[in-house]
Amino acid sequence: MKLFRFYQILGLGAMLMSLPACDGILDGIYDTPRTTNGYGFNPNSDGVTGTLFIDATDYAQWTYINLHTEEIDSTRITDESGTEVPMGENASLPEEWDFALHRYDVKTNGGAVLETEATSINAVLLMSSIPAGNYVEDTETEITIDMSGMMDGNILYATSDYNAELAKWLNVDTSTMPPVYTLSNKVYIVRLKDGTHAALRLNAFRNAQNTSGHLTIEYAYPLEKAMK
Amino acid sequence: MQQPILKHLIVLAGCLLLTATAAAQRYVSGKVVGPGNEPLAGAAVVVKENKTIGMTTDAEGNYRLRIPDNKEYTLQASFIGYVTQSHPLQTGQDRMDFAMEEDAIGMETVVVTGTRTPKLLKDVPIVTRVITADDIRKVDATHIGDLLQAELPGIEFSYSMDQQTSLNMQGFGGNAVLFLVDGERLAGETLDNIDYSRLNLDNVERIEIVKGAASSLYGSNAVGGVVNLITKEATEPWTLNLNGKYGAHNDQRYGGTFTFRAGDFQNSLNVQHTSTDPIEVGTVGKDGEENDFSRMYGNRTWNFKERLVYTPTDRLKLTGRLGYFFRERDKSTSSKDRYRDFSGGLRGNYTFNKRSDLELSYSFDQYDKSDYDPAQDYDLRDYTNVQHTVRALYNYAMNDKNTLTVGGDFMRDYLMSYQFTDNGDHEQYTADAFAQFDLNPIRNLNVMSSIRFDYYSEADVKNTSSKLGIMYKWRNCSLRASYAGGFRAPTLKEMYMDFNMANVFMIYGNENLKPESSQNFSLSAEYLKSRYNVTLTGYFNLVDNRITTVWDQSRNGMVYSNIAQMNIAGLNADVAAKYPCGLGVRLSYAYTHVHIPDGEPYFSSTRPHSATAKLDYGKQWKNYGFDVTLTGRVLSRVTTDEYVSYTDPDAGTTSTTYPAYTLWKLNLAQRVYRGIRVNVVVDNLFNYRPDHYYNSTPTTTGTTVSVGLSLDVNQLF
Repeated sequence: MKLFRFYQILGLGAMLMSLPACDGILDGIYDTPRTTNGYGFNPNSDGVTGTLFIDATDYAQWTYINLHTEEIDSTRITDESGTEVPMGENASLPEEWDFALHRYDVKTNGGAVLETEATSINAVLLMSSIPAGNYVEDTETEITIDMSGMMDGNILYATSDYNAELAKWLNVDTSTMPPVYTLSNKVYIVRLKDGTHAALRLNAFRNAQNTSGHLTIEYAYPLEKAMK
Repeated sequence: MQQPILKHLIVLAGCLLLTATAAAQRYVSGKVVGPGNEPLAGAAVVVKENKTIGMTTDAEGNYRLRIPDNKEYTLQASFIGYVTQSHPLQTGQDRMDFAMEEDAIGMETVVVTGTRTPKLLKDVPIVTRVITADDIRKVDATHIGDLLQAELPGIEFSYSMDQQTSLNMQGFGGNAVLFLVDGERLAGETLDNIDYSRLNLDNVERIEIVKGAASSLYGSNAVGGVVNLITKEATEPWTLNLNGKYGAHNDQRYGGTFTFRAGDFQNSLNVQHTSTDPIEVGTVGKDGEENDFSRMYGNRTWNFKERLVYTPTDRLKLTGRLGYFFRERDKSTSSKDRYRDFSGGLRGNYTFNKRSDLELSYSFDQYDKSDYDPAQDYDLRDYTNVQHTVRALYNYAMNDKNTLTVGGDFMRDYLMSYQFTDNGDHEQYTADAFAQFDLNPIRNLNVMSSIRFDYYSEADVKNTSSKLGIMYKWRNCSLRASYAGGFRAPTLKEMYMDFNMANVFMIYGNENLKPESSQNFSLSAEYLKSRYNVTLTGYFNLVDNRITTVWDQSRNGMVYSNIAQMNIAGLNADVAAKYPCGLGVRLSYAYTHVHIPDGEPYFSSTRPHSATAKLDYGKQWKNYGFDVTLTGRVLSRVTTDEYVSYTDPDAGTTSTTYPAYTLWKLNLAQRVYRGIRVNVVVDNLFNYRPDHYYNSTPTTTGTTVSVGLSLDVNQLF
């Protein structure tokens, strides 16, 4: 009887041992990495809202977004005065664009930006009119174009236009290493040069592999049409 | 005809033998008394050379042994809480009394770490330091770092990059000190250190610390020492302890342990929750210099431990355990670091007879890291380390003097990491076999020797390490000498890393790394007399092929490489005294000298001098008792070299000095009724604040007070 009980326990032990998979257990408690349709515009079926995926990992690159045509173009920053040259097959620098991204830095093409208290695009779309307030225009600032000398205190900067209001979408605290990133989660209204408005919200700054510099931006444009 | 003659001869021989035995046998009697000649009932008196001859003393402390012959023997008297005594028994001697002394400083504690077999602390040939459950209770420590730093000099827990905890134990880092829980390794690491917050101090019986290499018993990583946490066994029909602590920065701890014994089963379940708010320290320090960090991140942890022991027969003991650990670090409102661990194990101990026993075990440990975005409730795992280990350990006592221990482990080590190409994974198998001989060739001399062979599949490491420990006891002194080999196999991380460090540089692994190796020589003298214990230890370590990252200009990144030899020499002095009036004193000092070959930069941030002091006084009555404990630690300043340019080592180094500091802590532990204890701790008594915060400053903001409450519910009834 005792022997039987002993073998019962041994059997139970063997069963328990075989339970944990070789490469671990409880994978299900984690989220699966989001899949995207690649970088670029991912418009929703309503034609006025969608999601933008931008690879902004390169410190020496500006990515220009044209909300009117849903086109994306890039340039390379070549020196500390902020000189840009066309990238890829393009022969010239982009002319028609609405806003541009460099890492988490952002600039507008003659536009202005208002930070709202809304934390989703839908909340803005439910508003009765385009939010009014103090729209902030671009100013000039220094942006980082080369981090490779950081450990030696030798970071390279370039002069650039910069919209401080829209850049509030991500706070980067560099007083600690590595820096601490805090998303505002708020929706920003951009008044474009032609008087139309767009709503933007930075959703994530890391990709599925958790590499920072990959931006997921929700948008609604034109806001005038999307709010109807 | 032949048969009756043979029968007679046998009867005759038997009679002769009996007569001879009767003539030679004798009775020895005596009395065992404690302090003040108070008789000790239940003390064990045995013949050391033949432990089958023995008995326990009666209510008056008396014993009477029948000794089969008239030879010389050694009689030994032992009783829990008293120092074991041995006296030679001469031929013809028929009386021996024992006057026992209380074991005021715990030298009768059974320890296992230094030899992998149970041995009394005073008999173990490898210098072992024990922190008891009582010590833990008196200082009411939550984190093992606080406890080890208060109890031992030469130990420093500080921050490394990203506020990850980093250990320095007399020149050795986190990957050279092996942490074990009941003899089991812990999976997972961050910047070469295990997650120390997994080491929950609730329900811990004792912590054993063995300094010096121990690879001949524990394999890789035990280059600088071993720290082993031993869990309490359930001894009462049931116990329930509930405890809580509240302190500055909303530092909270709640814990509960429930144990029971029923028939062949005993069970213990422990749950602990801790949380602390972030601490803002500002961007600039008192001296106007920039702080390395402006905010110490807040944390919350959950820890569950369950253990079931089933003893179906006297010979068989089966232990099953399960564990879950969760930690969340508030890095920012939109990003939290999460750490989880799932563990389980089964162990069977079988005693064949008085001479031999076998242990078989299986252990599972999975340590995960994930990034959590609370706004989107998105929890993405980017690291998992899964270890399966099977182990066998067999002890055989060849006679009462010598013991042979043999064993082996087999482990599968799986690692998926964000530091590998495309968050990839790697795995490896490790196997080892070891043998240890515990020899006592002459009285008072103990020789311990062990040898171990380790194999690591990915690095193709085949390593043999050995150890020799000798202890000679002379009156109240013990002299110990040891040689030990240590090694650390290259880890999967060090072999396969392919990591973009924040777009600043790349860090590359190296598949051609050789294992780190060390040779450890140690010499120690101990004086032990009832209330006093003085230990002096000198040691010397040669560490070769150290693995670290080195800048490689051609690849524009850091590459894991084997670097030059480092020698660490040191001296430890420890004086402890415990008086019957309730006063206890312990002073410990550690000197560490790290020597790097001439011409090489000196990168060690090990503080050369450090000391700890502990003064405690306590009294116990029926319904009230108190213990006042004052602990202090003093650390000298240290000057180290740092590269002027990380990406251009040829630009040379500059020297940086980190200042000395002293921290004191006062703890008042009161038992206000049966089973109810209130602890008040005043930490950083003299309000030390660093001039500015850097990674190795203590994480203090000045004097703080915390209050703890512990309730042993079962004692209330």
